Amino acid sequence: MSSASRARLGEEVWKTRTDKINAELVTLTYGSVVAQLCKDLDGDYAEVNKQLDKMGYNIGLRLIEDFLAKSNMQQKCANFRDTADVISKVGFKMFLNITPTIANWNSDGKQFSLLFDENPLADFVELPDDGKAQAELWYSNMLCGVIRGALEMVQMQVDAHFVSDLLRGHDTTEMKITLVRYIDDELPQDDE
Amino acid sequence: MVMVIMAIQLTGINRVVYAVLILNKAGGLIYQRDFNPGLQKLSSNDYLILAGTFHGQVSLASAARAQVHAITSQISPTNETTSSGLEVLESENFVMRCFQTLTGTKFLVFAEPRQPNLDVVVRRVYELYADYVMKNPFYQIEMPIRSEGFDRHLAAYIKPHQ
Amino acid sequence: MAGSSTSYYFVIIGTKDNPLYEAEFGTFKQGGDGVPKFREEQRHMNQFIAHSSLDCIEDLQWASKEMYLKAVDKFNNTWVSCFLTGGNIKLLLVHDARSDEPIRQFFTDVYDMYCKTLMNPFYEVNMAIRSQIFKAAAKKYL
Repeated sequence: MSSASRARLGEEVWKTRTDKINAELVTLTYGSVVAQLCKDLDGDYAEVNKQLDKMGYNIGLRLIEDFLAKSNMQQKCANFRDTADVISKVGFKMFLNITPTIANWNSDGKQFSLLFDENPLADFVELPDDGKAQAELWYSNMLCGVIRGALEMVQMQVDAHFVSDLLRGHDTTEMKITLVRYIDDELPQDDE
Repeated sequence: MVMVIMAIQLTGINRVVYAVLILNKAGGLIYQRDFNPGLQKLSSNDYLILAGTFHGQVSLASAARAQVHAITSQISPTNETTSSGLEVLESENFVMRCFQTLTGTKFLVFAEPRQPNLDVVVRRVYELYADYVMKNPFYQIEMPIRSEGFDRHLAAYIKPHQ
Repeated sequence: MAGSSTSYYFVIIGTKDNPLYEAEFGTFKQGGDGVPKFREEQRHMNQFIAHSSLDCIEDLQWASKEMYLKAVDKFNNTWVSCFLTGGNIKLLLVHDARSDEPIRQFFTDVYDMYCKTLMNPFYEVNMAIRSQIFKAAAKKYL
């Protein structure tokens, strides 16, 4: 499947097969989850990041089935570059109506970055100015977990983390995704 | 066959699905439901064994292990390494369609022989599964499915006029 | 205070009559540079004037269906205009010349920005606002 036809597929699924809800509701819901975590964990932002990632992971484990069922993808990706393309053009398109840019491939083709020009989760958000959040909190960290969980279900173990965020005053919002290995065995994974 | 014709008359539609089974990626049976008479009733234990056996067949076929080479070459005579395993099984009494998702979950649909568009049926079952099972936050992944919503929507799709 | 150097004192009052945001600015119209030209003693007076208008607003707020209550109070030559949000947040502008329409537009913009501030998950009602975005609205209309 070519890159252009993936873009069309993403567009089509988004237009015809996705139930839409009010964007502010999503933004506010996600925002209050993060804010509540920050409160409950007493500003331990490293732990907040971890919890967000975990929640995302559990979403990813489930969302992948919805993704496969709706996009009607039956072929495994031939390589990791294809995977990246599908994540951006079909995955993000059908769930968030955005298409992050793929960039910064490393030489062995096992690591790339997703650059988010827009991020619906972070609309209206200003990080708390307690002197820590700006340096420690990855506000959209749930997305990393979603990708990790979803790819694990299709036999790819990856590491995903943010390296920059507009909310922190950086020039871009960038997530790095690294392929750790392809999972051969078909044993069920533990649900965290 | 008499029974099948009766089923058609009873339901008034031309889609006769006998049963739907769902297997998790370890081969455990996580869902089994009969919709129309036509298959012999099995005990729940037999169903579990059936699921396990079937899973073994499919995964062996797709893995193309040496010891079952005879089987795989029969089932998948072309290119063994890319085979996704058994997809259709036909007999004079029923046809079975298997759909394996990329995550390893398997959907088995048993239907009346020469039933058209079973792949459409099985994909729709997959969509319902994605919606009503996987999106239920209280469903434990890989565990048996006990979801009233899934039951209801599945029945509405497979037997819309009852 | 001379008419040519119109100055404004703008304050947002929370639900417990607590100030959330304060700003002073001069007019941007007719070549104004936006710098407030309040005399030193007037600056303190502004706060008192704004504060004393709160009682008037509480009387008026149930009498009007509008959120924009226009000029609600007057002290010597100084007016107080008020915009009351549905959540009982008061936007007050202390000014020295009555001009309802530009102030209404100013308030509408500020209200919009206030809503966006409220959408920030880390902001809570009645929390002080540090952002300086409201100045942009002043530049446009006042």
